[in-house]
Amino acid sequence: MDATIFGAWVATGLTLLIFSFLYKDTPFFKFAEHLYVGVSIGYTIVKTYDTVILHLIIKPIVENGEFALLIPVAIGMLMLTRYVPKAAWMSRYAFAFIVGMGSGLAIPRTISSFILKQIEDTVRPLLSIAGPDGLTFSMNLLNPASNINAVIILLGVSSVLFYFFFSIEHSGTGKAVARTGIMFLMISFGAGFGYTVMARMSLLIGRLSDLIEFSDASYGRPTIWLVVAVAAALVLLSRRSSAGSQEKQ
Amino acid sequence: MTFSDRMLKIDRRIIFLMIGLCTLLPLLYPVGLPIKISPEVRGVYDHIESLPEGSVFLLSIDFDPASKPELYPQAISLLRHAFRKNLRVMTMTLWVSGTGMADQIVTQVAKEMGKEYGKDYAFLGWSPGGQAVIINMGQDLYSAFPSDYGGKPTKGLPVLEGVRNLKDVTYMVSLGAGRPGVEEWYVFGKDKYKFEMGGGCTGVMAPGLYPLLRSGQINGLIGGLRGAAEYESLIGQKGKAVAGMDAQSATHVAIIVLVIMCNLIYFSQRRALRAQGQLG
Repeated sequence: MDATIFGAWVATGLTLLIFSFLYKDTPFFKFAEHLYVGVSIGYTIVKTYDTVILHLIIKPIVENGEFALLIPVAIGMLMLTRYVPKAAWMSRYAFAFIVGMGSGLAIPRTISSFILKQIEDTVRPLLSIAGPDGLTFSMNLLNPASNINAVIILLGVSSVLFYFFFSIEHSGTGKAVARTGIMFLMISFGAGFGYTVMARMSLLIGRLSDLIEFSDASYGRPTIWLVVAVAAALVLLSRRSSAGSQEKQ
Repeated sequence: MTFSDRMLKIDRRIIFLMIGLCTLLPLLYPVGLPIKISPEVRGVYDHIESLPEGSVFLLSIDFDPASKPELYPQAISLLRHAFRKNLRVMTMTLWVSGTGMADQIVTQVAKEMGKEYGKDYAFLGWSPGGQAVIINMGQDLYSAFPSDYGGKPTKGLPVLEGVRNLKDVTYMVSLGAGRPGVEEWYVFGKDKYKFEMGGGCTGVMAPGLYPLLRSGQINGLIGGLRGAAEYESLIGQKGKAVAGMDAQSATHVAIIVLVIMCNLIYFSQRRALRAQGQLG
């Protein structure tokens, strides 16, 4: 059997087994779920071994004599001492190295990229200078750089920050500002949820597109045969479980 | 039991079936709803369009098969566009679980466009470390990737001629489904080594990346299947993303209708309970 056709049958079968969860939690779903986890982990281990151990460590040391690589290897090996209680303290050096290096790399870059650059964008001028003697205020909501959008962003950032400022009671004017903050947060959550729905539907579209493609005769119509097989299996399973519950009664 | 009671206790499998049909029917019988191009997707397209022949384009395929429906069409469209513009295409991945798929995407599009490995494009594969790989590439590309995916030494590949590190990259796009992805490429790549960058992401991630777009930190963003469909329309090669847009619209309408219905039923029940004096 051609690898593409075999792949189509496997993909169709596993998709349908996963979809069987929509009916109820079945052993078929569990099988497909465990297989997915197992294959992903197996693939990751093999790729990591091949790329890291063979190509980035053993080959350069053996073929090019790059013995300096033994230093990071030794630091990495110290991690494994966690499995030996008496020597577990040695793993702290490896963790200290990773935490220190990670923080050193991440802190300045994150401050620069996410705090300074974003503050710079938040405090844009609320009015624009047009020509030598005039100020303008652009009302175009569709233009991200317009003045009205700068005002909305300023309002949003200030009110949301105020909402998370708990040192003073949110009453009177403070309550109104905090409520405005909640409204901005709700709009943000709504946008996030909308995009999440879109993403999940895209995944469903992806699977259904493949199922339609694999219903073609060139693949041996795996979709049709396997839909029938999975449906029959679900009916059998449902009957067996209802017979079992009747026996118990 | 009233109608609203029955609706609120509806078997969830009926809703699954409804959504399934709303997805399946437009895929089987497409209507061809118009696709409007958003400025964020056009940003990526226009930048690639403006690049002169032979510019170095780096595409980081930072996703695995779990995000394939959204990001695979984006990768295909971007590669088609880059190859059509005769750019020197350098591809890689920061996700070990996506290595095989990334290789398949690059090889498939290169073959379709008649491009030669090593001369027109290269797939560097995966290297461990996530953000550390980006920093390493910024210092010395050949130290991060001494060999390509096939085990060939990267030094000496004609497509990488004159490329020493990320500073020599003309334009870079990261198609990310999580971390490491677009944000890491910006923070540890663009912000430090100053190359122009665009992004592509799953729908879930898109709202979180809009602040980077607005502030000009990235010059374009292709978000989810919708973004992929827009890009397919821009390059004039409609594929899986455009085919899925009718289904996407139909399911969105179905979900909006369900949300409105649920709210109407909820408020009508609340009013009924209040009238009976059971609600404070």
